[in-house]
Amino acid sequence: MTVNLKGRIDSNNAAQVEKDILTELQGSSGQPVILDAADLQYISSAGLRVILRLKKAHPELRIINVNSEVYEILDMTGFTEMMPVEKAYRVVSVEGCEEIGRGANGTIYRIDQDNVVKVYNNADALAGIQHEREVAKLALVLGIPTAISYDVVKVGDSYGSVFELLNARSFSKILANEPEKMDWCVQEYVKMLKTIHGTLVPAGKLPDMKETVLGWARFMQGYLPEAAGRKLLALVEAVPHDDHMIHGDYHTKNLELQNDEVLLIDMDTLAVGHPIFELASMFNSFVGYSELDHSVIRKFQGFDFETGSSFWHKSLAAYLGTNNQRKIKEVENKARIIGYTRLIRRSIRRKGLESETGRAEIALWTEELLALLAQTDTLLFHANELELEAVTENLQEVQTFVEDHLEASGCSMKAQMQIGVAVEEIFVNIANYAYHPDKGNATVRVEVSGDPVCVTITFVDHGVPYDPLAKDDPDVTLSADDREIGGLGIFMTKRIMDDVAYEYKDGQNILTLKKNL
Amino acid sequence: MEITKSIQDQSATLGLVGRLDTITAPRLEEELKEILSNVTELVLDFEKLEFISSAGLRVLLSAQKVMSRQGSMRLIHVNEAVMEIFEVTGFSDILTIQ
Repeated sequence: MTVNLKGRIDSNNAAQVEKDILTELQGSSGQPVILDAADLQYISSAGLRVILRLKKAHPELRIINVNSEVYEILDMTGFTEMMPVEKAYRVVSVEGCEEIGRGANGTIYRIDQDNVVKVYNNADALAGIQHEREVAKLALVLGIPTAISYDVVKVGDSYGSVFELLNARSFSKILANEPEKMDWCVQEYVKMLKTIHGTLVPAGKLPDMKETVLGWARFMQGYLPEAAGRKLLALVEAVPHDDHMIHGDYHTKNLELQNDEVLLIDMDTLAVGHPIFELASMFNSFVGYSELDHSVIRKFQGFDFETGSSFWHKSLAAYLGTNNQRKIKEVENKARIIGYTRLIRRSIRRKGLESETGRAEIALWTEELLALLAQTDTLLFHANELELEAVTENLQEVQTFVEDHLEASGCSMKAQMQIGVAVEEIFVNIANYAYHPDKGNATVRVEVSGDPVCVTITFVDHGVPYDPLAKDDPDVTLSADDREIGGLGIFMTKRIMDDVAYEYKDGQNILTLKKNL
Repeated sequence: MEITKSIQDQSATLGLVGRLDTITAPRLEEELKEILSNVTELVLDFEKLEFISSAGLRVLLSAQKVMSRQGSMRLIHVNEAVMEIFEVTGFSDILTIQ
């Protein structure tokens, strides 16, 4: 039962208002009473006493659509703690407003110079808004630069959340209008991506992306040949649980440059999981969605297919920390497996099989997916990894690869040189002995992590089992004449690094060097 | 790596520029082989040396062994990072470093 409150309620009319309300409520016994304050401009203590008496008779009483002046009175007098009081939602129109972003659950419009509104397109918009506010707060606390909404508004039949976003431009806009800034955009985009993926999320705070992707893979069982379907499911199942953050919809419309600060927006898809799931969604945004009809991407991002593809490949190379095309392609193919799975499922659920365009899309993606499934044994990958032939001629390439990572981490010249000495020792060892007299590959991986900063360099080869650490240390107190020439390298490596470990596992020599910077 | 060379009578000065590692150490070894038989004083100028690995240390140790018998060898202008490597390996005790 809803009763409308109008105008002013003060000592002049409180008695009359109370009488009117009681008349209206006659015969409504048992029903919860809602006071709609949409047209209420002012309420004095005499009016508040009327509400108190009503509350006694109707303990379930709620007040809705309260304007901000009346809300302040109710708040000051403690009424907001005694009963549910809902603020009136400001009504905002987005007609003629510029669309600056579009995500899975909503569309973002700029409503004036300083503010944007994200309008939710799902039925349960208020719950969506609440969820996004919570995850955005969580992300902010964990160190991700993002915007948190400060108001909820009514937009047509739906709701929206309002954010302050001053002088901001999305990366899509920058790419579309200033193509010369491509490399800068790639650099900032990847920096933010690494920040997200380097963020550990307390257990249970965010949904697990693996569960979502398993759902997609299960859906596909009915639409793929049986063996391929089983393989898809097995590949996803084999991805280990990962408590690091992923954004879930990381494309260039969701990265904003506000003055000189880069901000991540559209946080409602935030999850935890292995980065391959993120790469899959990135591939879709820049390539997958528009693979059949290249004009699709312009509608969403404002730039053309070539720009999108180029941005994706450059970003992937920078994220993986390598220019090795074979390696980049390998990881891209893993991402495409999940990407196509999602696209096919999405299209089928949107009745894609009933239209010609839909069928063409699904056929293209399915063909690609089947080809990829046939050649892939794992969805796992390592970033910051270099694989190359283990020959001393490649030493310089290894050193440059490692140095690039160290420089990026602000490592001192002295520490760089020490690490360089150790890297040479281990790599030359592999080059000389692992595959002798044949040749084979070595993999070098660099991880810079933590606070205080620690660098970990891992060498992997498939050569004969050999533990270089097993050798006795040379006596470094002997005179020049008595010293043996050689045998110093591993000793130096042990002294220079904080930790050196060897293991032989699955036919691989794995040597790990650690140094705290 | 670049090697600059100046020889006067029986005294030789070699300046090393760049990296002394597995790739470049054999070149220093060659260079030393050519001149060592005729010198009694060897000076290695490390001012422009950026990097030294165990392969470089091995060449220095062989040269030191030869020069101990026939004269003297000393290193000049050694930077801090290279010096640290000498200290870790005990080379700071067996080489003459100025």
